[in-house]
Amino acid sequence: MPRRSRILTSIAVLAVAGLAVAWGMSAPHPLTAAEIPAHQPDIANGKVLFNAAGCLSCHKPGPDLKNVDASLPAGGSPFKTPIGTFYPPNLTPDPETGIGKWTDLEFVNAVQRGISPEGENLIPAFPYTSYARMKTSDVLDIKAYLASLSPVVSPEKQAQIPAPWLLRRGVGLWKHIAFRTDQWQPDPGKPAEWNLGAYIANGPGHCNECHTPRNMFMAFDWSKQFAGGPHPGGEGKVPSLHDLIGRGKYKDASDLASAFQNGEMLGYEDMASGGMGEVQTNLSKLPDSDVQALADYISSLK
Amino acid sequence: MKKNLAAVLALAVGVGIIGAGAGLAAGTADDMINARQAEMKVNMKAMKALVSMLKGETPYDTAAVQAAAKSISDAQAEGVAKDVWNTSSQTGATVKSGAKPEIWTDAAGFTEAWKNLDTAVAALSASTDEASFKAAFPALGAACKGCHEKFRAAE
Repeated sequence: MPRRSRILTSIAVLAVAGLAVAWGMSAPHPLTAAEIPAHQPDIANGKVLFNAAGCLSCHKPGPDLKNVDASLPAGGSPFKTPIGTFYPPNLTPDPETGIGKWTDLEFVNAVQRGISPEGENLIPAFPYTSYARMKTSDVLDIKAYLASLSPVVSPEKQAQIPAPWLLRRGVGLWKHIAFRTDQWQPDPGKPAEWNLGAYIANGPGHCNECHTPRNMFMAFDWSKQFAGGPHPGGEGKVPSLHDLIGRGKYKDASDLASAFQNGEMLGYEDMASGGMGEVQTNLSKLPDSDVQALADYISSLK
Repeated sequence: MKKNLAAVLALAVGVGIIGAGAGLAAGTADDMINARQAEMKVNMKAMKALVSMLKGETPYDTAAVQAAAKSISDAQAEGVAKDVWNTSSQTGATVKSGAKPEIWTDAAGFTEAWKNLDTAVAALSASTDEASFKAAFPALGAACKGCHEKFRAAE
């Protein structure tokens, strides 16, 4: 009997220790104010990055905001995922229901670390896993652009997901294995345009989120980067981006740039489904040079 | 003797059931999906011809625009006649289909999307010169995109 109780005690101690470790490891690790660079915000650049990052696709006004300008990221539109439905929040500068009161630090922590101002882990349906790789100055420019928009009153709607608290702590554990926070580094051996395209694709453009398959831990499988895979929303398959020219999908990089700019409006048949239509609409708003750079990079993938 | 009769009856019923099952599989979902995909191929061919003229890769030709527009509306009429979007096509198919369930859960939206195509094709048919063709064209592209965004799955 004493032996059994010793074993039980050991198990209990281990369980408590395990929980303590899990608690510690699942805690969010936000950036501190000292880590935010001093930056003079550039609203025009923020607008370009807002489109490159596709913010509006998810944060567009919900169906109950019919009278709101559809170009304003007022939020509330349902975003369906296999774990439940999210209602991406209001990004307009309304102080009560939007992000009008957010500090730069809170904004950067949300976008690049996946941590809310309340200190909770955000669910990575919000692609901070890619946004983390952006230049923080670009993120601050997006904030400045958002602050320049008309405020819309659009209260946050609770996500319909199971056990939100546990899920958010679980995300904290997941971040240890799946979250890369190093910023995108250019390849000095490649032309500047190619590097710009690589930055747009891997940072703000968050192409990896759908076009790179994930391993059993839901982390990107970098050995198969851009090889395509199951659609995250469960809508069939996401195509591979490898050798798009060689496989005859596009004639050359300029043709791919035209596809980004025009999409199915000019009969590019692969630019509408599975969410790509909204991506293409966003890309069509970028400067020609950015679109060409993105096309140069994507068409170089082998 | 009675036993034999029962066996024959059972066999007949069995064959009948299998036969009916095979009949359903051959006659419905796959046929509808194949017909839909053939229709989309016609549309794609028309689109390619129109885009080529729009970009100036082939010279503008009113008759060619009319022909492309007619091929789209003819293909659609054939699809309607064959009832290719019947809800029964959702089950029992062996052919791969990109049709999303929203086609049937949002039937009103789907009908609306087809109406956008009708309107665009009618405007294209009514165009008489290069300028009116170029003005009418974007609505066709928007109709394709609008429907595919909502109702067609990725790859």
